[in-house]
Amino acid sequence: MHNKLFEIRQRFDVRMFILYATVPLLLGLLLFQIMRLQWFDHEKYMLQSEQNRLNLVPLLPVRGEITDAHGKKLAINRIAYRVSLIPERIGHPDQILDVLAAMLAWSPAKRARIRKRILRARRPDRPVLVDDKLHWNQVAPLAARLHHLPGVDVTAGSFRQYPYGELTSHLIGYLSLSREHDIDAGYLPTEFIGRTGVERSFESILHGHPGYQREEVDSRGRRVAVLQRTAPIMGKQIQLALDVDVQQAASDAVGNRTGAVVVMDVHTGAIIAMLSKPGYNTNLFITGLESQQWQAWLDNPEKPLLNRATQAAYPPASTFKLVTAMAGLQHGARLARGHTFCPGYLQFADRRLRCWKRSGHGRMTLHSALVQSCDVYFYKLGDQLGMAAISDEAHEWGLGEKTRIDLPPEARGIIPTHRPYMMAAIKDSQTKRKKWFRGETMITAIGQGALTVTPLQMARLAAAIANGGDILKPQILANQPADILHHVDIRPQDLHKIQQAMRGVVTEPHGTARRVLSHAAWAAAGKTGTAQVVKMSQHDNKKISKTDLLRRNKDHAWFMGYAPYKKPQIAIAVFIEHGGHGGSAAGPVAAAVINAMARKQVAMAAH
Amino acid sequence: MSRILHSLDWLLLAGLLCLAALGMLVLYAAVHQGDTGLWYKQAVYWGIGMVVFLTLCLTPLRILGLACWPIYGIVLLLLMLVPLIGDVHMGARRWLDLGIANIQPSEIMKWALVFVLANWFASREARGSVEIIAPLLLAAIPAGLIVIQPDLGTTLVLLFAATAMIIAAGLPWRLLALAASAAIASLPVLWHFMHHYQKQRVLTLLDPQSDPLGAGYHVIQSTIAIGSGGLLGKGFLQGTQDRLHFLPEQHTDFIFSVLAEEGGFIAVTLLLALYALLIYRILIIGHRAHNRFGSMLCIGVAAIFTLYITVNIGMVSGLFPVVGLPLPFISYGGSALVTMLGALGLVMRVAIESRDSIPWQRPSSPLA
Repeated sequence: MHNKLFEIRQRFDVRMFILYATVPLLLGLLLFQIMRLQWFDHEKYMLQSEQNRLNLVPLLPVRGEITDAHGKKLAINRIAYRVSLIPERIGHPDQILDVLAAMLAWSPAKRARIRKRILRARRPDRPVLVDDKLHWNQVAPLAARLHHLPGVDVTAGSFRQYPYGELTSHLIGYLSLSREHDIDAGYLPTEFIGRTGVERSFESILHGHPGYQREEVDSRGRRVAVLQRTAPIMGKQIQLALDVDVQQAASDAVGNRTGAVVVMDVHTGAIIAMLSKPGYNTNLFITGLESQQWQAWLDNPEKPLLNRATQAAYPPASTFKLVTAMAGLQHGARLARGHTFCPGYLQFADRRLRCWKRSGHGRMTLHSALVQSCDVYFYKLGDQLGMAAISDEAHEWGLGEKTRIDLPPEARGIIPTHRPYMMAAIKDSQTKRKKWFRGETMITAIGQGALTVTPLQMARLAAAIANGGDILKPQILANQPADILHHVDIRPQDLHKIQQAMRGVVTEPHGTARRVLSHAAWAAAGKTGTAQVVKMSQHDNKKISKTDLLRRNKDHAWFMGYAPYKKPQIAIAVFIEHGGHGGSAAGPVAAAVINAMARKQVAMAAH
Repeated sequence: MSRILHSLDWLLLAGLLCLAALGMLVLYAAVHQGDTGLWYKQAVYWGIGMVVFLTLCLTPLRILGLACWPIYGIVLLLLMLVPLIGDVHMGARRWLDLGIANIQPSEIMKWALVFVLANWFASREARGSVEIIAPLLLAAIPAGLIVIQPDLGTTLVLLFAATAMIIAAGLPWRLLALAASAAIASLPVLWHFMHHYQKQRVLTLLDPQSDPLGAGYHVIQSTIAIGSGGLLGKGFLQGTQDRLHFLPEQHTDFIFSVLAEEGGFIAVTLLLALYALLIYRILIIGHRAHNRFGSMLCIGVAAIFTLYITVNIGMVSGLFPVVGLPLPFISYGGSALVTMLGALGLVMRVAIESRDSIPWQRPSSPLA
């Protein structure tokens, strides 16, 4: 008995030792695991804890505003509100959605769409955007009740607005959200970037630099504290030389025709107006452009996205006679100092080159030929000069050259020459000929043929004639000093002859722009142009209706000039696509611009 | 009375008080940004628990020996009622509304089982067929009822405590080996019967990153908290994981990560040392006890504490699946604290009675 009890006692002792041994085994296992976490992997977990805790929030800069020369806002920033909610925190969505739908006036379809988006959210802990671009009036009642609506948040952001919309569309341009290559270049995915016009050219000034805010966040991603803040550098405001009232006057005068108007300060090159019609509403880009709208703009045969003032080149027609005339004076061509007879045509070999006036102009000098725009005189003058002299003169006055305006991309235009390298270029690209014909020089001398220029080049040419031969860089920003790209070496008396002739166009009985510009507020000088259009038949393009075809077969209308005549201030180039006759179609636009400028100056003086 | 004071196990008491202090400190860190009322409530629970502790210190073990069978019977009955009329809370049917209070019969069952097993082995060893099968049934019936609630944690506690007691009661080695191999073989069967969320927890443990915001979230965040604590910790009230609410249930089951984040490895070592002291004192008291009922009681209590600590810390540190067991004396929670202090009161009573009768001499037989 005693032995049995002893045996039991002994067995109990052994079992107790097993239990004693089990405890350090288990606790040791725990200690080892903790050691692993806190000792060996400490750095890794420390990093994860920091990542958990910290959130780097970009602070977007507010884009600089754009104003015109008189401080009128052309591009501004509006505050918009967006409503987002965190699905995880709203409980049952229907209840919250009912409240939101009532407050934000959602249609049942919109409510259903948003409900779907919430239920489908892959990360229920992340905010889902439910409504955007709201006015304060719309979100104010919601914001006041936010504490009753857990998980719902109202945040503010800014978006770009263009108060003048279509009127300034080509000059100001538009923005769009950054794309992959922009992000590679250092932009944030939520930033808007200038894509065309001034918004693009002056992007670096307007944009500013984003700041950052290092935030401590809790497990809901809600900000608990701001640890560090680098404020964004706001974009700088820029002031354009543009006068939006003049722009408006030009736009009204052009009406719904297609064309371009450029108004330039003759001394500084400041762009007072730059219009291209038709325009497009740049505000649509900011509110999320519908792809249908974009496609409609692309498909529109009038090409509203094209800035006709800088990106399109057209045959200059009779306005080019100024260049031929100046070349004649410079080279001392016999005809430039003499006269010829215009019977209404010029017999040249077996061809008959017509003057626009079939009955003929009679006796023509340089002055009267410019005033009345006699073709025959310039056929002969061009023939005497030769193509090289004419094209050199054109390049000298900045035609066929980029104006270096800060508004890329810019068209160059074409000035043909008979030089071998130039011929090679023509041969390759268009005509496949080796020889330059005399007749072509004669055609080019009156501004037809392969010749094309942009309205901006034409305005600059008018400015250079007005200011004594300074070829200026067109300035988009206000108060910029003149940037004279080069000075044309022309004898003042020769230039004066040209100026007198341009004045004659407006004042003399047979002047091509007399009726439309003689009553303008300022004494104007200028030159009209009527560019012949290669006639299209309906057979060539079935997409165009018959009435449209009739319009399309009309000539392009030009007017270029400056005013006031005695003390020039502005140079103007007006181009109306298929506008008809230069004097009657383009001239009134120039008159409207001059009148607007004059009104403005009277008002400023009275002020 | 002086005799009682003399025979108290002062080391156990000191360890308990240290745990109380540490627990209240950590709880403060866990709730100081939120509901600080919980801290005061916990202080009150400590008060109530100490009253229970002292009461049981002064209650002769005989009474428990007599009461254990009726207690077991009643609790088993309540446990059977749970599937029929219990309240569903968070997907599991565990609670029973008795009119005066809501109780979790499974919580009481683990202690009742320890009592009856201690009583059963008080006068016999686990060496005959009846001697082994009867306690197995005593454990298996409530375990079966609890696992279907489902409450994996409590089931584990029940089985672990019963196993420890049966081994201590002298289960033959070959039977032990057989049981162990049978248990391992039954794991796939157990897997089959596990609830989806339980399986998910096991799977998540194997690869927490597979579902970082779902089932794995708890484990990822708590391991980040522990790991980022490092050797010395981030400092009292400086834990960012805790302060920014990345930790779920940080004042209850996951409170260990608060301690590990703010106190670092030093605090963890201190805590585990205190637990070791506690468990060893309980086992030593059980070893020295003058009767087998007391010994077995202590072993059961020690087993429950050990399992709580192991499962809780193992779960928080990503060693085991997420099983809802509190960290003894540290986690917030009244009923768990009070019952654990009550259990310690019984252990202390065993110590008192062992010295009380023959304080100078070791007993020759535990079966006496």
